Parts: sequence; structure tokens; C-alpha cells
Amino acid sequence: MTLAIILVVAAALALVFILAVTLSRSLQISKGDSRAAKIQPIDVEAFRNLIDPAEDDYLRRRLSATEFRLVRRQRLRAMAAYVRTAKRNAAVLVRMGQGALTTGDAQTAEAARRLVDNALLLSRNADFALLRIYFALAWPNSGLAAAPILHGYEQLNGSAMLLGRLQNPAVPVRISASL
Amino acid sequence: MFRAHSLLWSYLWVAPNVLLFILGLLIWKRGIATRVRAFLAFAVLSAVSELAIYAADVLPSVGPRAFWGISWTGLLIEGVLKFLLIGEIFAQVFGSYRSVARLGRLLIQWVGVALILVATAAAAYAPQNSQFGIISGFHLLEQAVYLIESGVLVFIFLFSFYFHLAWERRLFGITLGLSISSCVHLATWALIDNGGLPESKRMILVFVNMATYHVCVLIWFYYLLVPRKPSKKNTIPPTGPSAGPPAGPTAEDDLDAWNRELERLVQQ
Repeated sequence: MTLAIILVVAAALALVFILAVTLSRSLQISKGDSRAAKIQPIDVEAFRNLIDPAEDDYLRRRLSATEFRLVRRQRLRAMAAYVRTAKRNAAVLVRMGQGALTTGDAQTAEAARRLVDNALLLSRNADFALLRIYFALAWPNSGLAAAPILHGYEQLNGSAMLLGRLQNPAVPVRISASL
Repeated sequence: MFRAHSLLWSYLWVAPNVLLFILGLLIWKRGIATRVRAFLAFAVLSAVSELAIYAADVLPSVGPRAFWGISWTGLLIEGVLKFLLIGEIFAQVFGSYRSVARLGRLLIQWVGVALILVATAAAAYAPQNSQFGIISGFHLLEQAVYLIESGVLVFIFLFSFYFHLAWERRLFGITLGLSISSCVHLATWALIDNGGLPESKRMILVFVNMATYHVCVLIWFYYLLVPRKPSKKNTIPPTGPSAGPPAGPTAEDDLDAWNRELERLVQQ
């Protein structure tokens, strides 16, 4: 009977999860809400500064060990906030890209697929980066590699702009000119 | 009312399988078979197999050994088809995205191995409540198939939920029906096999199984054949050469907002 109860509870939990996902419609391609408004801008330069090892070395030389740990933890918390925002933006771009996948134009569909791929990669890397940041919060003197996130975000930016141009060529996209 | 060979029992066994077979034919006729090949095979072959088992059950000329032999064959065919279908679902959801496809394949392999071990353990600890090995073995195999199937489907749901990956409507419907069916069947078979319930209550669970499968077939009908209602507001309009007329101002506003945010991102 114990085995039956365990299996019934497991099946019930699985069913509740699946039905909750279905009712929230979060796994269905939705075209009804404004996703672009959900994108939060990221100060890439500030993030680049935060992950620069030279900055850490400079602080290490200038500050006492206790002060350094304190400042380093604050910088790590800020870094985590940036990575979380980048991950949220990636999730928004995944949905926007998927919304454009069904378009009849092959070039647009390919750009959308590339955008989704880059956003998924960023999302995956963001998780690893967050793990490392939380580890570094416990041991502030350890090294940290959040640079792939920055690179991934810049790549994502390029893909998003390309899709934007293909989707709406009538609107001037000055971003591409500034890159 | 909840008796074997009653009218309701016959209806719940035959109707969903006839409907599933018709759904298979409609999929083929409407030209969407190339996108749901494994589901088409599942719909046609599992319906035929279930109808054959029903025929074997009601025909007096078929003996018990032959009936269970047919049931075993049907279960094995359905098991293989379901896992082919799950493979197709996984490939269609994640296959085109290199960044998560490899990680997903690796994880699903480990999840699959873990579920096989759990199913084996569950079968080993299950009470042998039938003096006929062919019957208890059939029940245990059925429980194992549903356990692995529901576990893998939940993993696919979780994985795509985590990465915010949306699914194509038809694929979502197929997976939803398959998941509901496998979860309910897992719970009921666990109770039938291990619950030590009296025959009358076991029969109620069999009816629950049949009714759930009927609902799932209707879900598949809805998602595969009923077209999606056109959305009033489109987030990203198709603008390529093959696209239709330009989308409304809301969609353009969305894209403008997106570009403005990205511009700000670069300039900051």
C-alpha cells in the first residue's frame, strides 16, 4: 500500500504541475501581450567594470583584507543583479523570437531561430554564472568568470537587432549603425 | 453500472480508439502528417491494437491465454510507440536549438535511467497478487511504462518551462493529452497493482482510466484539428516578402519599444 501511495502522490503532483503550466499558458506561443516592454536595459559598461579582474586587483592592493571582502561582496551582489536581469531579458527574447519563427519569410525565421538559440545559451550560462557568484559571495577571494555572460549578452543583442531589422525594415534601426 | 462488459464499459473502450483512428486518418488527409509522424503512427497502431484486444475480450472463441498474449503484444507496441512519440516531441521542442539540445539530451538520458531503476524497484516491491504470472507481469509492465512515460514527460515540461520555451500548438496538445493520460494511468495502476483493493473498487479505477483516455483523445482532436483563434494583437508581425498586409500599430509599437531598449543598452 505504501508503494501505491508514493506512486499516486507522485502522479498527482506531476498532473497538478502539468495542468498549472497549461492553465498559465506559459508553454504556448502567445501573441497577445507586449513583451518588448518587459525588457530591462542593462548598463553593459558598468557590468564590464564589475567583472574586470584588474579592478579587483586594484581594490585588493588598495584596501585592507576586511574592507576588500566587504567591497567585493557588494560588487558580487550587484553582479548577480545584472546577471539575473540579463537572464530575464533572455527569457523575453526567447518568446519574442519564437513568436517570429512562424513567419513565412525564411530569412526572418532563421534570424528568429538564431535569436532564440543565443537567448537560450545566455540563459543557461547565466545560471552557471549565478552559481559561481554565490560561491564567490561565500569565498570573496576566489576567482570568477562572468565574462561569458557579457559576451553572450552582446551576441544576443546583435541577433535581436538583426531580427528587429528583418521584422520591420521601415523603422530605422540606428543600433546597427552604432555597432 | 461499473461492471465489465456493461454498455458504458464497451463504449469507453471502443469509442476513444475509434475516434483516435479517425483522428489519424484526418491528420493524414489534412496533410499535417509530416509534422506529427510519430503521433500518426501512435494514433493508428495503438487504436488498432486496443480494438483487437477488445475483440479478443468479447469473442468467446478467444481463450484466456490467447487474450493475454494479444494484450502483451498490444502493450509492447504501445510502449514502443509512446517512447517514439516522446522522442519526436523532444526533438521538435529542443532539436533546433543547439544551445539546449545537447544539455537536454544528456539530462533526459539520466532521467530515463533513473526512472527505469525506480520502475524496476517498484515492480520488485509490488505484491504478487495474481497466481498467473502472465497477468501480474502485464500489470507491472503497464505500471513501469506509465511511470517512465510520465516522468520523462514531466521532465520535458520542466525543462522547457525553465527556459521559457513555448511550444507549437499541436505539439503542446499532443504532449498535454499524453501527460494527463500517463499520470492518471500511473496513479490508477499503482492502486490496482499495489493497493489491495476489492474487485468492485478496482473496476471503478479501470473506468477512470478509460474515461481519462477518452478525454485525452478529445484533447488531441481539439489541438490537432481545431484552428487557433486569430489573435487581436500580434507581438511581432510577419513582414517578409511572403507575409500578408502590414500588421496594426500595436505590433509596430512593440517592436519600436524593443529597438529603443536595445539602443539604450548599446549607448549606455
